[in-house]
Amino acid sequence: MADDATELVVETQHLTKIYQNRQIALNDATITVEPGSVLGLLGPNGAGKTTFLRLILGLHRPTAGWAKVFGRVMTPNAADLRRRIGYIPTNPQFPKGMTPITYLDYIARLFGLPADVRKPKLATLIRAVDLLQHSGDSIAHFSAGMTARLAVAASLLNDPDLLIWDEPTHGLDIEARRSMLELIKTLAAEKTLILSSHNLTDVDEVCNHAAVLNKGQLIFTGSLQDLKGRIRRNHYEIDLDGEQKAITKCVAALRNLPDFKQVLLRQRRLEVKMTDDAANAPLLAQMFQVLADAKVLVISVRTVGMQTEQAYLDLVEREESRGFARLYKDEAA
Amino acid sequence: MEQTPPVVTVRFNRFLPYWAVLQTDLRQTLRGWTYRLWVLVTVLAAGGFLLYRVGVHNEAGMFRSAAAQSGDLFRLVVVGSLALVVVLSVSAVGAERGTVADSVLSRGISRHQYFLAKWHARLVVVVSTFTALAIGVLVASYFLFKSDAESDLSAGGGLMAVVAVAAALAVIVSWGVTIGALTNGTVLGITVFWLVLYGAGFLLTFLPEPWPSPDRYLARLRFVLMGQYNVAGLTNLVVGSAALSALAAAVGVVGFARRDV
Repeated sequence: MADDATELVVETQHLTKIYQNRQIALNDATITVEPGSVLGLLGPNGAGKTTFLRLILGLHRPTAGWAKVFGRVMTPNAADLRRRIGYIPTNPQFPKGMTPITYLDYIARLFGLPADVRKPKLATLIRAVDLLQHSGDSIAHFSAGMTARLAVAASLLNDPDLLIWDEPTHGLDIEARRSMLELIKTLAAEKTLILSSHNLTDVDEVCNHAAVLNKGQLIFTGSLQDLKGRIRRNHYEIDLDGEQKAITKCVAALRNLPDFKQVLLRQRRLEVKMTDDAANAPLLAQMFQVLADAKVLVISVRTVGMQTEQAYLDLVEREESRGFARLYKDEAA
Repeated sequence: MEQTPPVVTVRFNRFLPYWAVLQTDLRQTLRGWTYRLWVLVTVLAAGGFLLYRVGVHNEAGMFRSAAAQSGDLFRLVVVGSLALVVVLSVSAVGAERGTVADSVLSRGISRHQYFLAKWHARLVVVVSTFTALAIGVLVASYFLFKSDAESDLSAGGGLMAVVAVAAALAVIVSWGVTIGALTNGTVLGITVFWLVLYGAGFLLTFLPEPWPSPDRYLARLRFVLMGQYNVAGLTNLVVGSAALSALAAAVGVVGFARRDV
């Protein structure tokens, strides 16, 4: 973790990147990442996620603004700051003709780790990521899953305080993806993470903070709860069991209740939309009472649109519809 | 009483990243097809040239001094090598941009260290390979034309010729690595450097004597090989080359630290 408990791990101010005066990749991004956060960086293709990460790492130089990591401005020569960061690029590339052992040894030497530290560490990591049997094989013949595991090991070699993983579940099968998410959850207990991902389910599962980029503009930054809180509420789907006649009667009763905006029945699935501002607990209690009185059983209850995906889509859609009003940033926040 | 675990402080070796890149680049360059092609073509061309001259000398009885023949061979090797030396040097940094450079430069290495390691690696590879090839050519010439060489090829002159050409190659490698680090595409960098080198070399041949001309310098190698050289002139060449190489490195170090990778 950061030396000082209150020290921000990452702080950017008006961070802007324009490539060769042709493409605005990132526009005025101001963000802070506190120690212990797991920040999910969301956005469609070309939104500026990778550019943002590369600016934080000092691989790119900002056109305007600055990025501070552990309280110091990141520059291309800030090797000591990068010693505290573990990075996985979107599609990790490896030097030709290397094996996991030689590659990890190379990366450990790039961190300046002496032999008595790096050798035991790389052996432990190779075992941990389950590449022991392939430790002498050429990386060139590795599958996507093996490559991802090797990249994870490389990013943990220096025991970093901050992990920056660019689409870590990209190209992984279901099993490998599950393992990766479990690893992220474990690491989240002691490290700060920034994850860029297209997969909103992954972000929903492992992140506690989110930042949404769209066309280079940061349109949201805050906790995941805040993000979800921005979307429409009080929309439920209830799977029912019981006599169809009783269910139909319940629907009619619910439609007559105040604050029930929409009550739809599809087969035995009830879709209920309540007034946005209404407190949901009393309304749900009323609904369950109506169902109980009619002796209708509840099989399952789901919230609709409360997932991160819906929140993200709503945000992007709202941003798109703002037109020139985008100029006034505060309204979007 | 509760015991606190001992705090293990890792002492980072600041020069280890430099050594890691230097060693890896040396190993990978020696395994690369460009390097192997350069060595193979040079050895085959030099071997063919020498055999042809031996045939002309022994069978046709046409005598030509060993120094003159070695001078011609040197010129052939230098002009022929130039194309691949440019590829080797420009691709040092350029070829890794957008691929493995991310994985390297996102670790605990500064741009300065990375550039210097790449520069030194390519310098070592090109200069030492050329020196080895050139010495091989000189030794072969000496033994093949021994009866003529006794009064012609000089060991000191041979050494000076190798040093002079190696110094010139060092300048080319240095600027090549710098151009590769400062241009966006390797192909663009190689093309630009080829055009500049061959174009400038060609244009300089039209200028009168006081002006430096690579062609004239290469033609004079036969006299250097005979031992007819000016130590002060050669010293100036080596010092000038070192200065130009250092300038290239300074431009590269500063420029590369200001670029995106």
